[in-house]
Amino acid sequence: MLYVRALIAVIRQPLYLLITTLVAGIVFTFAVWLPSLSLIVIVAKNASLTELLSLMWSLYGAIGSNFTAISASYTTIIAILFGLNVALLTYYIRKMRGGISNANIGSTGAASAGGLVSGIFGIGCAACGTFIFTSVLTLFGIAGVLSYLPFGGEEFGFLGVGLLLYSLYSLSKKITDPMVCPI
Amino acid sequence: MEETNQKQPNQYLIPVAILIAGVFVAAALYFTNTNSAPVANTGTNQPAVAQQQPQPSGSTDAVRAVTGEDHIKGNPNAPIKIVEYSDFECPFCKRFHNTMNEVMDKYGESGDVAWVYRQFPLEQLHPVKAMAEAVASECAAELGGNDAFWQFADRFMELTPSNNQTDIETVIPQIVKEIGLDQTAFQTCFTSGKYDQHIQDDIDNAVATGGRGTPWSIMIGPDGTTYPINGAQPLAAIEQLIGIAKNSQ
Repeated sequence: MLYVRALIAVIRQPLYLLITTLVAGIVFTFAVWLPSLSLIVIVAKNASLTELLSLMWSLYGAIGSNFTAISASYTTIIAILFGLNVALLTYYIRKMRGGISNANIGSTGAASAGGLVSGIFGIGCAACGTFIFTSVLTLFGIAGVLSYLPFGGEEFGFLGVGLLLYSLYSLSKKITDPMVCPI
Repeated sequence: MEETNQKQPNQYLIPVAILIAGVFVAAALYFTNTNSAPVANTGTNQPAVAQQQPQPSGSTDAVRAVTGEDHIKGNPNAPIKIVEYSDFECPFCKRFHNTMNEVMDKYGESGDVAWVYRQFPLEQLHPVKAMAEAVASECAAELGGNDAFWQFADRFMELTPSNNQTDIETVIPQIVKEIGLDQTAFQTCFTSGKYDQHIQDDIDNAVATGGRGTPWSIMIGPDGTTYPINGAQPLAAIEQLIGIAKNSQ
């Protein structure tokens, strides 16, 4: 409960709320636009700015049509958790600059990065082999392994959520821990 | 001295973690925007096409010209054509099938847009069934023409659960009966293997245009510009794209 209070206290500050929102927005946008990046590039060359922006806006609807309910949920959760992680990490680094060591934030940073990476692997239409995880597996000639995974690759999304939650817990704990020298 | 040594291994942990995340994000961008490695297979338990040969350019311009041999809904001479490479077992193809039917309801009658259906069964993900369903749809077209193909496709998408859970022994004969095809002639066609090469040609073309999964579609504008549509994009995006293609002529 103490850790949740610490988290809330940080993101109630406008700067950290802004960081959370911006980072979450970027991660979410990246996930939703990922399959359409080449389309966006082509349209940017052939259409007006208004048409391009309208298309990009309409592509946000892909979260409902191009994702399963589960993958849409964890994609949104990953984006928000990653935004919170970056905000908390920024807060921690800024407020405790004097007493901080790389050792203190190393494992937390690794968990954040691991969570994002794992989340990215889980993004997309694993069932239809459209996106990243399948592409990586086929690169190594083992795409068939997807049919043996109970959730067809979405496991990586769940792992991403878990890692980011751990990272958030770890950061909140460090923020609430008193700055003392160990005996 | 001892404390310094303890801190050493962690000194670069955050930069390395960020670097790794960056590499994965870059890899994600690379994999989703190049013709890296499709998962489609021939439907005969052969290794995937991508594992057999180097990939072509992956340009959407490599889309095969639309001819009378294609399955076309709407005006065959429409200025805008949406060529879809689809798998009957793919749940997202089902969604996109509904989206495309809505597109055709809106733009089909005026003759502005035509929908072209090509086969892209993903054998590795939907073994046996996806290929069998592709063959069945081709046989429906052979026996009942273009209309029978679309009746088969619409009904199949409506009835089946996807993700290789379709009971093809029951559903295919049921649809064949419903749309009034000769069941004996259908069975002869279905087991003949005569459409294997045709389906393989569709798969090859999907791969050549950069398709790595389904649904994979290419919109061809009036001026010949090709637009890739990856996955089951929403109706609003397809409508925006139709508007852009119209304005670009």
